[in-house]
Amino acid sequence: MTLQNSFSRRRFLGQSAFAGTGAAASVMSLDILKSEAFSKQLKQKGKRVLLLWLAGGVSQLETFDPKPGRLTGGPFQAIQTAVPGVEISELMPKMAMRLKHTAIIRSLNTKIGDHGGGSRLMHLGRRDEPNLSYPDMGSVMARELGRLDSKVPDYVTFYTATEGRGNAVGRPGFLGSRYAPMFLTTDNKPQNLGRLESISDLDHRERADLRRALSARFAQGRVSPALGSHNVAYGRVRGLMSSEALFDITREPKSIQDKYGPSLFAQQTLVARRLIEAGTPFVKVSRAWWDSHGQNFETHLEMVTELDHVMSTLLDDLEERGLLEDTLVITLSEFGRTPTINGSLGRDHFARAWSATLSGCGIRGGTVFGSTDEDGQHVKDGEVGAAELFATIYAAVGIDPHHEYYVGSRPVPLVDIGTDAISEVLV
Amino acid sequence: MAEIGPKFFKEVKQITRADILLRISYQKSMQSVYVGSSDAKIYSVDPLADKPEFHEFQGHTSYVMGLVDTEKHLVSGSYDRSLIWWDKESREIVRRVEDAHDRWIRNIFLSPDGQTVLSVGDDMVCKLWDAKSGEFVRELVSHQKITPNHFPNMLYATAVSPDGNLIATVDRIAKIKIWDFKTGEEVTELEAPKCYTWDSEKRIHSIGGIRSVCFSPDSKSVAVGGIGPIGNIDHLESPGRVEMFNVASGEKTHEFEGDKNVIGLVEQIVFHPSGKWLMAVGGKHTGWVQFLDLEKKEVIRQVDAPMHVHQVAVTDDFGTVYGAGHGKLIVWSLVN
Repeated sequence: MTLQNSFSRRRFLGQSAFAGTGAAASVMSLDILKSEAFSKQLKQKGKRVLLLWLAGGVSQLETFDPKPGRLTGGPFQAIQTAVPGVEISELMPKMAMRLKHTAIIRSLNTKIGDHGGGSRLMHLGRRDEPNLSYPDMGSVMARELGRLDSKVPDYVTFYTATEGRGNAVGRPGFLGSRYAPMFLTTDNKPQNLGRLESISDLDHRERADLRRALSARFAQGRVSPALGSHNVAYGRVRGLMSSEALFDITREPKSIQDKYGPSLFAQQTLVARRLIEAGTPFVKVSRAWWDSHGQNFETHLEMVTELDHVMSTLLDDLEERGLLEDTLVITLSEFGRTPTINGSLGRDHFARAWSATLSGCGIRGGTVFGSTDEDGQHVKDGEVGAAELFATIYAAVGIDPHHEYYVGSRPVPLVDIGTDAISEVLV
Repeated sequence: MAEIGPKFFKEVKQITRADILLRISYQKSMQSVYVGSSDAKIYSVDPLADKPEFHEFQGHTSYVMGLVDTEKHLVSGSYDRSLIWWDKESREIVRRVEDAHDRWIRNIFLSPDGQTVLSVGDDMVCKLWDAKSGEFVRELVSHQKITPNHFPNMLYATAVSPDGNLIATVDRIAKIKIWDFKTGEEVTELEAPKCYTWDSEKRIHSIGGIRSVCFSPDSKSVAVGGIGPIGNIDHLESPGRVEMFNVASGEKTHEFEGDKNVIGLVEQIVFHPSGKWLMAVGGKHTGWVQFLDLEKKEVIRQVDAPMHVHQVAVTDDFGTVYGAGHGKLIVWSLVN
């Protein structure tokens, strides 16, 4: 469109009529993290979830359910934590001092010992059905905790390693694509989120204003849900574009970046904290790949050391910002690892007796639910499955686990019928 | 006189165990062995007895990862970070050095003159101790504590040259350091990078490292062992690897890449006193023993073992090999 064109956008819109509408601010200047009013509102109402997805199957014996002195226990010792009577692996000395925030569930028996099936179960909280596509945890959280007009993404997931990535793709199922994740693989920030350099910010705003005006004119005398959802979608676009800065950890003070550390997992967890702080209801940071069929102790020495540091730094950071009481932090895998040590000094897949943790929002920290036998081969008491775990997660953030969706006229409960949350770990 | 050599290598006896036997030392005077176990105990046993009895040494609290038989004592090292000097008769603790290292002790070695015990640990330090008194002598510090990818490094093994002049230490990121025994000065650094696999794409962690080191009988060469580059680091799925270097020049003189019959880690290397061949042992889920001709630079023989072999102890005449491994203690013969 040339300057000589008599039908310029400015003339059509009328500068006085639309100058102040559309996106409230330039796409480059939105800085939600500095909005005190917004943060306060979040603290009052918004719950968020940060899932540390430990893909491949982290060993419960080398983390939260050690068995020192047993042939199955491996070489690592157990250490006393800040919670009297509770010990965890010596590989987690930092988390040992912070267990007051965390509930350990040691009695998961989920029965599915293959990566694909186990991942699906631990993303959906139930077995799949051939005729119904269930949404995963992230999509449910986006739906239940998100805001329709949110200017930040509702569901973000990081998965950079290639192994196991296909098992952990988020799935909105019958909730619809509105609740699909922003799935980041090759970069810590979304591709194509920024405004093209060839389009000025004023141009971009005016295009949005023009689209809105044309849409309003079209909608006169018409009733259509599609129109409404289109408008919402377009409204979100500018909001999402303005959230690009949230993915940039260089905007954090160097001291904070250094605290988290240089590893990819650490950097992505820091981005996750930024998103959570800005109001994203669900972020998943995937740390792959824990599948230590060989050299289990070497692998866990490397990776649990990293997990201990990143998780403890995250909890400290959330607490210092006053966010921990509204943020649920979960560690979860698709299964655990065999107590029996194989000839390569490895451990294999094991879904019969393994662990997960819940920290922060709605959680009675410092508790241990369930136990396994002395060799870790079986659950001794408090056996729970995926359904109970998910019911607990939903309850922790204020979602009624017995809530039902409707697919057509069919009621679809959030968790399997007859399942209750583990009340012992909830406040 | 009986002939001894790889072509006569055969199993004599195996004993099945519930634990993992990680270390072994030959007890000359008793013609028996000490074995260090994953159950944190050490056992003295004559494997060739009709009914072998395992006599316990109790004191460690984690995997026993080093055993040497000195003139007066048995010395052990463990993942519990302690070194223990034992009375061999009473099996009582004579001296314990708690926190001998800040992290896991991976191995120990007795100098050829029997006067010094060397220990290596994941604090990336090699420490020298008086073999009789247990007094600390000196430490060798140079290996990186953190890998280039920001993970903890590991210091796997050490050896002393037969002439007593040099020490070698080997680590996770495939560095080999050579030290002057008397002064503790670092002489040179070599590397065998194919022994370390860092997966930056699929799994974002590492596997491997140089697990074994041994000087040649003439002290002029050093051989190291590990595992070759691995595609899927969930498993030890690559052939075992042996490389040999001339210490003075640093030149790599031998490279044995292994084949499908020797998949896994090379846990230990033992030179024949002639210097003409060596024995490498190791494995993955299962194990093997490999004999390598150093003159022809080819494999003499490869034999399956009934378990992943962690360490062997060889009699002075090289006629008998005792093997410690996953769930088994085994005796082989090299005698015709």
